[in-house]
Amino acid sequence: MGLSTAAAGDGAQLCVFDLRRGQQEGQELDKILFFHPADCPILLQLSVIGLCEGIVTFTRIFSPVEDCEVIESEKHSHIFYQAEPDIWMVLVVEKTKDNELTWRCGALQGILKEAHSLFAMFHGPIRTLLDRQPSAELARGHLRTFLTDYLSDFHAGKKLQFPTYRDCLKERGTVQMLTVSREVALEVQSLTTVLGSCLGNTTCQSLVLFEDLLVSTTLPPDDTLNLYTYAVLRLTPRALSSNASSWSYLRKGTSVNAGPTSSSSNGTTAGERPLLREKLSKGKDGFVAADFATTEVRGAVPLTPILWFQQAEERMYLCIYQHKSLTILLLIPASSLINGEEGIAHVKKQMLENASQKIVTVEQKLTRGWGGENAYHVAGYRYLLVDPDRRISRASPPGKVTTLAKDSLLALNRLRQEVDLEKSRYKRSDPCHDNDFEVCIRTKSNAWVIAKITRGRELYMALEKGGETLLYASTAVEKFSNRYCEGAFSTD
Amino acid sequence: LFAGRGGRGTGGEGREDRGTGTASGGAEGSFAAMDPPNPNPNPNPTDAQPQAAAGARLAALSLRGGRDLPPDFHTAEIHEHRTDDDDDDDDDEGYLTAASRGGSSTCAWKEAPEGLRDDDKDGDDVSPPSPSSSGYAGERGSSLDDDPEPEPDPEPAQDWPRDKKHLDEDDASSSWRKRKKHFFILSNSGKPIYSRYGDEHKLAGFSATLQAIISFVENSGDHIKFVRAGKHQIVFLVKGPIYLVCISCTEESYEGLRGQLELMYGQLLLILTKSVNRCFEKNPKFDMAPLLGGTDAVFLSLIHAFSWNPATFLHAYTCLPLAQSTRQAASAVLQDVADSGVLFALLMCDHKVISLVGAQKATLHPDDILLLANFILSSESFRTSESFSPICLPRYNPMAFLYAYVHFFDEHTYLTLLTTRSDAFYDLKDPRARIQNVLMKSNVLIEVQRSLRESALHVEDLPTDPSSQSASQPPQSSRDMSSQSLSFEMIGGPAGLWHFIYKSIYLDQYVSSEFPSCISNQKQQKRLYKAYQKLYASMHDKATGPQKTQFRRGEDYVLFCWITQDFELYAAFNPLADKTQAIKMCNRVCQWVRDLENEIFVYGESALSCTIIVGEVYEGLGFVTFSQKRYSFSFPP
Repeated sequence: MGLSTAAAGDGAQLCVFDLRRGQQEGQELDKILFFHPADCPILLQLSVIGLCEGIVTFTRIFSPVEDCEVIESEKHSHIFYQAEPDIWMVLVVEKTKDNELTWRCGALQGILKEAHSLFAMFHGPIRTLLDRQPSAELARGHLRTFLTDYLSDFHAGKKLQFPTYRDCLKERGTVQMLTVSREVALEVQSLTTVLGSCLGNTTCQSLVLFEDLLVSTTLPPDDTLNLYTYAVLRLTPRALSSNASSWSYLRKGTSVNAGPTSSSSNGTTAGERPLLREKLSKGKDGFVAADFATTEVRGAVPLTPILWFQQAEERMYLCIYQHKSLTILLLIPASSLINGEEGIAHVKKQMLENASQKIVTVEQKLTRGWGGENAYHVAGYRYLLVDPDRRISRASPPGKVTTLAKDSLLALNRLRQEVDLEKSRYKRSDPCHDNDFEVCIRTKSNAWVIAKITRGRELYMALEKGGETLLYASTAVEKFSNRYCEGAFSTD
Repeated sequence: LFAGRGGRGTGGEGREDRGTGTASGGAEGSFAAMDPPNPNPNPNPTDAQPQAAAGARLAALSLRGGRDLPPDFHTAEIHEHRTDDDDDDDDDEGYLTAASRGGSSTCAWKEAPEGLRDDDKDGDDVSPPSPSSSGYAGERGSSLDDDPEPEPDPEPAQDWPRDKKHLDEDDASSSWRKRKKHFFILSNSGKPIYSRYGDEHKLAGFSATLQAIISFVENSGDHIKFVRAGKHQIVFLVKGPIYLVCISCTEESYEGLRGQLELMYGQLLLILTKSVNRCFEKNPKFDMAPLLGGTDAVFLSLIHAFSWNPATFLHAYTCLPLAQSTRQAASAVLQDVADSGVLFALLMCDHKVISLVGAQKATLHPDDILLLANFILSSESFRTSESFSPICLPRYNPMAFLYAYVHFFDEHTYLTLLTTRSDAFYDLKDPRARIQNVLMKSNVLIEVQRSLRESALHVEDLPTDPSSQSASQPPQSSRDMSSQSLSFEMIGGPAGLWHFIYKSIYLDQYVSSEFPSCISNQKQQKRLYKAYQKLYASMHDKATGPQKTQFRRGEDYVLFCWITQDFELYAAFNPLADKTQAIKMCNRVCQWVRDLENEIFVYGESALSCTIIVGEVYEGLGFVTFSQKRYSFSFPP
């Protein structure tokens, strides 16, 4: 019994366990807070978690501060993420021989981070849930529904399929921004001001999205990222439509419609299962809300989800309004609403009264300036730009990336893996200092794969027609940097 | 999870002290009365022992009479390694002591005070624990098959703890945990075989944990490759019943560390052959550690090589630069000997090959040369007399022993004759004398000494214009052009070139330049080698490589790599170097190396060949380069 059989059924496993629990012999099962697939035999679950715990303990002998990140074996990768002190999330993925399933450790760890951040946004930290109810039923219940819904996005047929080397020009955990003209920016600014004053004395926060791209935010970067991620997963027009043919910078390729996820969906609300796809829809009033027609038990659970924003350190109600391609996420501080749903209804009304016209204008102007899904394509280049400090990225449209040869993608994926290690090395040696770094590789099939880090900003690129010499490739990067990155990656 | 953890205290049981076994054989000299665990190539394994014993006695005589080493020779040797910087990522101090330990053999009888330390209570402690006369030699080697678990020594000698191998440490000590690079060898039952730091006895529990991790994954039909936690990497290598593990925070690549474990395993095979596996088949709890008794110095020297010797990752060997005629003279006399039943004849100067001749179609893998040279150079006793020792060349035939006749002509230069015959010692004495005679008469040994002093490649000497006269100047010119090189010395070579390694793919040989003054200390040199290692791993990725070119600009260097079907070039520049200029320099280095290739490479193992350069334009970096076509001529023509 072991790893190969463990992952055979699904191709992947995801587990969450708490090392503070089940310390007595025979009580090991108590450690497990979540295990996917749920029908995995208990002994197998214990064996996976046993190995993970063993390795976590073992690596601490030598590396007491830095966490175990990965166990790499011939047939599997175990990706570790310590989400909260002593609460670990481990993703086990199975490899195939044809290297079609070559991934990047950092990309898979990004999934765990994203899942945990979203979970914490809706349900608060896992440790808090465990403290609230030491039997862990509450935490297990929330984790089960939430992570199952979250994983539904990765289902390809019966198996879970995670990002591979083919996704090496994407960066999870970043926001994709829409570039707007100065005139439109002023309109958006004015809209944001109106949205902010919907509650009168207390300022409301807001996010404005066009298609799957962020137009404006008043939240700090981490909170923006979480809410943006949720919006792109479930709330934007593309996410809402069951039609998977529409595009997304973030999801295209891996996004598959979730089927009915579990039979236990009765009696839940958006507050409890925020990622349950089929519950969300746009109403006639333009507000997106969970469909409660079938819900019988509501009890004390509020209709509108309350989110916990770690960076802003505030709990807020989320109202979602949609007009054509424009999605507005309005956040109302929970502390300022005494009368719950009634108060929200009032805010909604205020918003429609004050902002409707502006919303229509902004939507029209954005649509007019919008270049479509290939708006950010640069002919001849396949690129990814990341600004980790601002949690922003921009990339070649997925449809264009697929034109790259397998060799180029594999080489770029490998290069990114190297850069990830180099980045963490720099971070350890001097966290305050930005280290510039540049690698250009001419692959055996004559493509250029390039990584360049300048003042903390990252550029990854594959050029299949980049010319034959290094100088030619360097010039291509220079041109790109000057024209599209305000010279951020230029040598001079 | 790990049932074995803590509970498997059996790992260290039955461990013998490595020094004790050497008492009889070692003191007499370095004619190793070794009997291989599986003397495959030996036609009369049963005869080997008495013969060897007789040989040992005789060799002992020759040892005392046959050598005249300068009295301070060993001290010098130790100092050479002591320049190592302990602050560096990879602490090497263990090696120093090992070298001195290995050297204690000779020191023990040459300089009595060395051997007579406080804790040397037993007289036999002064015996030389050299590999060629090590614990498993003769008396123990033969018992391998019959008695897989030797009796523990009733009176373990106390001489090892005095060494600075941190034998007082174990996995509970924080100093041990903080060591930058651990190497472990253990058996699949969890018995410790080797640890770079700490006493293997005390690491039995730790060893059992490692075994539990590996076996847990193995049992599921999978094989664990590595675990990473921050800057720490734990790399595993399973070789049948033998497990090798490296725990490192030196931030080397997985491929690099795995390659190092492969070499550790190769070194183990060189000493024992792969037939040691049979012992595990007979008795899974077989304790292998005593078989490696006294070979600590060999492993420590190899581990040290990982941070200074590019051969460990390039899989190529390097040659001592010599005038073509000098090398031809050496090759000719080796060739003569090769015809008289020697499988390989190697003339080497430290780690550099002077000449190499193989019988018929036999070829020597660069890794075998590395491991063999490491074995010989890390064992002081080889230096003290002509020696005859069973060794296995893992790449040539991992199952069988060959016999190495080793003789040092001077401090650095030594001859190795490899034969399949275990009784060839006396037959090889004459050829050796003949070779020595010719080498003396034809001034080869003097030329070797001169080359050692003078003929390194200095980036400062890189011809400024490929077409200029200086292009064909021999590398010795660095000393003549001292005034010119002085101006470069502060910044390295032209266009900020600091260093390069050029590997000829056809020849499996590399040449590297000397370090410039800006990379003068060992710490900087190690860092550069690690950067090269990473570059090598990046270029030779299994799934996507080999790539064609790579340019890498970091905080410390600009690195270039350029791989064609003929050669691989690795070059390091000042981090501010200009790309265009750097490319030009790479091109110039390639041209320079080709101009000098008759002096810096050995052509042909059993035949001399000459290289004809055919002009050809490569795309690559935009260089114009040349491909080498080799045409062989038998020598002498």
